[in-house]
This record gives sequence, structure tokens and C-alpha cells, in this order.
Amino acid sequence: MTGRISKFNVVSLVFGFAFLYLPILTLVVYSFNASKLVTVWAGFSTVWYRELWHNRGLMEAAWVTLRVGLLSASVATLLGTMAAIALSRYRRFFGRTLMTGMVYAPLVMPEVITGLSLLLFFVAIDMDRGFWTVTLAHISFTMCFVTVVVQSRLLTFDRSLEDAAMDLGATPTVTLFQVTLPLIWPAVAAGWMLAFTLSLDDLVIASFTTGPGATTLPMKIYSQVRLGVTPEINAVCTILIAIVATGVVVTTLLNKRRLVRQARDERLAAGA
Amino acid sequence: MKSLGSIRRDFAPWLDRGAAPFIRFEGVTKRFGDFEAVDDLSLDVFEKEFFALLGGSGCGKSTLLRMLAGFETPTKGRIVLDGEDLSGIPPYRRPVNMMFQSYALFPHMSVEKNIAFGLRQEGMARSEIADRVGQVLKLVKLEDYARRKPDQLSGGQRQRVALARSLAKRPKVLLLDEPLGALDKKLREETQFELADLQHQLGITFIMVTHDQEEAMTLADRIAVMDRGRIMQVATPAEIYEAPNSRFVADFVGNVNLFEGTVRSVEGDRAVIETDAGLTIAVVSEAKLGTSQKVSYVLRPEKLKIAADPIPGPNAMAGEVWDIAYFGPVTAFHVRLDNGATVKVSMVNATRQGALQLTWHDRAFVQFDEDAGLVLTQ
Repeated sequence: MTGRISKFNVVSLVFGFAFLYLPILTLVVYSFNASKLVTVWAGFSTVWYRELWHNRGLMEAAWVTLRVGLLSASVATLLGTMAAIALSRYRRFFGRTLMTGMVYAPLVMPEVITGLSLLLFFVAIDMDRGFWTVTLAHISFTMCFVTVVVQSRLLTFDRSLEDAAMDLGATPTVTLFQVTLPLIWPAVAAGWMLAFTLSLDDLVIASFTTGPGATTLPMKIYSQVRLGVTPEINAVCTILIAIVATGVVVTTLLNKRRLVRQARDERLAAGA
Repeated sequence: MKSLGSIRRDFAPWLDRGAAPFIRFEGVTKRFGDFEAVDDLSLDVFEKEFFALLGGSGCGKSTLLRMLAGFETPTKGRIVLDGEDLSGIPPYRRPVNMMFQSYALFPHMSVEKNIAFGLRQEGMARSEIADRVGQVLKLVKLEDYARRKPDQLSGGQRQRVALARSLAKRPKVLLLDEPLGALDKKLREETQFELADLQHQLGITFIMVTHDQEEAMTLADRIAVMDRGRIMQVATPAEIYEAPNSRFVADFVGNVNLFEGTVRSVEGDRAVIETDAGLTIAVVSEAKLGTSQKVSYVLRPEKLKIAADPIPGPNAMAGEVWDIAYFGPVTAFHVRLDNGATVKVSMVNATRQGALQLTWHDRAFVQFDEDAGLVLTQ
């Protein structure tokens, strides 16, 4: 590798980033527009953020989304982690191949089909559609993502650590909570984040499974946009972007700190 | 057969017919699908013994160790420890502890937490745990490293922590899976002696798995040589080396000249063997031989003499130096004898010029005594 950056690389970089981030940048910039017309710039203002605060419909939808996300991500993480441990620990049990296939299927299942089948199921068992049906639907479709993330971590997990714990007198339960979980914790947390994000931005499945009084934020935004884009929508989207970006930056910094600490430990070990 | 001594001369419970074995494997078989890892194996290990399971990879030695620890269940047979049948007892209730090949230190716990882990499971009082952790840390000379994480230790220090952790619970038996495998040569030699000292000092029964014959020879009171799930020979290191019971053991442990041949004449305990390669060898055999019996003759390279001039005595032969390997303390020669057979000879370099007298393609004379080798009748 040479230290010099070629013109070609600079151009590729600029075009790449522009392609990815120009639409988002437009949205963020226009959220600070003073004009009510989305496409006409009339000076800087935070008025739409204040308006947003008073828009009961949007705020209620945000609150529903947050509750659905927190609850479904937590339950999905619990179930998904359990499934991942079962699948990677017990190499041979009846129906293992079938179960593995069934865990992965929702990853590639078209959302429309997942949504429709869930709707038909809720109708069949005569369950009133609303907050709980959306939450259940989100648990069912995010769980497999958690399983995939945790299972890939368990693939590289040194099983002799669990053997050692049991050899030292820890029961399987103690081993799980004192050795396995503390070590795969970052993967479990990443699984939770993934599940939460997927739930936060799901429109299709929520539309199928929701009912009166449980409109999620993506549904609200989508329905409002059909009546015309208002700068309020830009504002709410900017806030969502800010939340996601903060999450990404924090994760990156934590990772970086871990790597720095690891490098320091290795130096210490070498010098010891 | 003359008994060859173990490392500790006064310690030989396996010779005492009245001694009760501490660990008994009784007809133990372990199958993984179609693969038979351990095949109807029976073995007795005595209290305070340092016992080594020696063999190549896939010979079943690790499976045997894991069955004793409780990580694998025997397909057939049973294991008895100190009079107690271990069948159905999970690993976390067995009075044995294991030191893992990878050390398996918990990376999220400090050295002292790692060592205390097993004691905490017993529900031991906090102050008592602290005392015990201090003791074992002192034993492995790591008092200053109690608060470090495993990542902050060198390979040798990690090995000591692993040892300390497995000793902290004062097990009846300590299992060691390739304990020195991950260390470099120099450190391995140092640690070998420390490990042997520690075992004598603590009086705990050690069972070690290794593929390194030198390690087994240096450390163990007795060695079981294993091949394809079976035990080929159980004996002291000296017996394994000087009196192997089969071609496999002779060939596996150390360097050897192996001759196939036929007994031509027998006179009391003396016999003459004609090898398939055309050598005529006069031997003294402890085993009873008959004329025209097929036998193998095992001759260690250091039992032969080599010189540039003819050597008087029985089994004197002549040939050409074909290859020389200089190791420092010894020099190994490959000599092609006049009838075409090749023998390996190793010579101790007792003088600084010792190895230099012979060089490639020199005429060389070799000789060995009638009792230098061993006749195997199987």
C-alpha cells in the first residue's frame, strides 16, 4: 500500500458517500426549515421540533413503538439466546436439522407473508388486535436474528471453559450464568440491539397485525406522508437518525476501547 | 524378567500384590458412532502415583481422561475411584480436577477469582477461600499476580494459574491433559521438574495424558503406552524403554533397530538368529526360543559400538558410514553394512574429538554384545 491517495479513490469515496448519505442529509437539513413547504428553504428554525412535541398523534405513536420495541426485543433476546445455546450445545437431538432450518426461515421469508400469516393466526385464535399482537409478531420475526448473532458467537466459544467450570464443581445452571453468559454477553447485547432496531422500523408486519389504538411510528409516518410531507416528519426522522447514530458511535467507541485495552494487556503479558 | 526401577526406587505399589488400586478402569469401552475410541480397556492406578497415558493422536488417551473426569460416559464397563463406582456421577460431583490443555482460564475473572471459583462452588467461607487461594498462589509462585486477568499473563504464568486452580480444591486425583504442550522447550524442561516436585510434595495421584515420550519418561512413575483404544504396555519408564513387550512399543518409544528373523540354533539361553536382511546375530534371550521360530530383535542405537578399526567381540560387523547427525552430546550414525542392511548407531561424544574421527563414506566397524538387544517372540 502506498501512502498517497489516488484521484480515482477520492472520486469513488465521494460518490459512494454521496449516494449513501445525500438523501438523509437532505431530510436532516429540511427538518430545520422555517417554511411549511418541504422543498423551499426559508431559513433556519427549530419550530418543527416544538410542533412535534405538541403533535399528540406522532408522540403517541412514538410511545407505542418504544414500548413494543423494548418488550419484543427483550423477549426475543431471551428466546433467541436459548435457541442458539440449544442448537450449538446439543449436537445431536431429534429434529435438530429441522429446527435449524425453521429458525433461519423467517430471515428470508417475505415480510408480507409473515405479516399475513400472523394476521390469519390472530384472527383464527380470536385475539383482539392491538399492542399485544404487534408485540408478539415482532418477537416472532426478530427472534431468529438474535439466534443467528448469538449462535455465531458460540461457534468460536471455547467449550473447555464450560468443561472447566463443571470440573470445578459448578452445576450446568451455575456454569451458564457465571461463565457462558458473561462471555457471550456482547453478542447477546448486539442481538438485542438488532431486534430493537428491526422492531423500531418495521412497517409491513405492524400494519398487518395492529389494531385500533396501537399505531406505531413507521405506520403513522407512512400514513401522514400519503397526505403530504410535513416538516414535522423530517423532524421526527432526524430524531430517529440521531438515536441510531448515537447507538452506533457508542458501540464503536466501546469496541475501540476494548481493543486498546487488549493491546495493552498483551504488552503487559509480554513484559511480565 | 529382571525388574527395572521406577524414578522413585522405594515407591512401587504395583509390585505389591496386596495393594488395593486407587483408580480402576474395568473393561471400559467408548464408541463414538462407529468409531471405537477406547476398546475394552482395564487399568489400575495406585494412590500417589504419577501415571502417564502415552500415545499418538486418536489413540484414546484423552477420551480415557475425559471419562474419568465425567465429560464422557463409557459405552461399556465402569470406572471405580477409591472404592466408589463413578457411573452416573456428573463431573461437578467428582473428587477429581483437571488441568486443560488450553488451560481454559476464565478470561473475565482475575487470577484469584479463577482459583476461588471451585472453592466458591463448595460454599466455603470467604476467609477460608482467601487463605486457600493465597496458599496455592504461593505454591506456584504467583503471589504478585493475583489481581491480573489471564490476558495479562505470559504462557508460563497461565499454565501455573491453571495448575493452581485445579489444585485449589485438593482433589483426590489431578488429571493433566498435555500439561506442558503449549510451552516452549526451555520452559517445558523447567516446568517438568517443578511439576514432579509438586506431586511428591502434595501426595496427590496425578494422571497425565501426553504424546511426548520424553515428558512421560521424565515425570511418570509408570507409563501406559496406548494405540487404537488399547493399552499396549504398562510399565516403568525404564522397562518401557529397555524391555518393550512388542514391536509397537519398541518402535514408538525412542529410536530403535528392529530386525525380523528366524532362530537358527538354540543352546541354553543362547541362540543364533538369522535376520531377513541377512545378518547373523548371536543373542542371549530371557524368553524361551525354539529352532526356526520367527522372532523380532530390538536393538537400541546406543547399545552398539562404532569405530574406524575392527572391534573384537561377538556380533562384529563392517560397513560404510552412510549418514551422520550431530546432536551435541551424542552423534547418530547410519551405517550400511556390507550385506546391505542398515543399522543406526549412536555414540556419546565423551571427548571433544569423539565424533570427528568418522565421516561420510568412511569404512566403519560396529559391534554389540549378545545381551545388548531384546528378542521379541510375538
